[in-house]
Amino acid sequence: MSQYETAFLISPNLEEEETSKIISQMLNIVSKKKGKMIKEDRWGKRKLAYPINKFEEAFYVFFHYEGEPDIPFELERHFRQSEAILRFLTVRKEKKENVRKKKKGIPEPEKTAALKEEEIIKTEEAGQEDIPSPETKEEEKEK
Amino acid sequence: MIREQRSNRGAFRKYFPPRKKFCRFCQKNIKEVDYKNVDILKKYVLERGKISPRRITGTCAFHQRRLATAIKRARLLALLPYVED
Repeated sequence: MSQYETAFLISPNLEEEETSKIISQMLNIVSKKKGKMIKEDRWGKRKLAYPINKFEEAFYVFFHYEGEPDIPFELERHFRQSEAILRFLTVRKEKKENVRKKKKGIPEPEKTAALKEEEIIKTEEAGQEDIPSPETKEEEKEK
Repeated sequence: MIREQRSNRGAFRKYFPPRKKFCRFCQKNIKEVDYKNVDILKKYVLERGKISPRRITGTCAFHQRRLATAIKRARLLALLPYVED
């Protein structure tokens, strides 16, 4: 069981009844496959950043659900069949939290750390800087 | 010519040191970058629609990777442009 998020764009020339019909159809597929809907999001008509199939706008719908991997497969099969769907995208949401090994962005959250560790961190930071700023170089020279 | 420019630049830097850049995602303790949040993604795209490099924005490597995938996903859904003239 994993969480998925499927987004799809419905063409704007359909009437409201038809779009809601398509959405309910897709909801049916999820419920049939024993998927658990977490969130359904409708943005409505929104201007596209670039034209798709000569349409300037589209109806955005987002499904966030949990279930077996055959649900997104089935949904995508339906998307490909119908001409009303302009684009679709399915993303699997990782359940486990992405834990960073070391936190560099936050300036020294633990000051109690041993001196040796601090030194290691400092050297690493120096190595990872893409462009060493000219200032530091100058300072070194002065020293 | 190049040498002159460089020396000038050094002097310039001495009086106007560049501000320290930092990762805005680390600051707010955000782990995932959402591809639906267009307002944030737009800040990390240059005017031509290109993904702005880390050396300009100051984003950390961890978040730059996530940002790049998020921007690419947003492009697929026509939330962001591939190219903008």
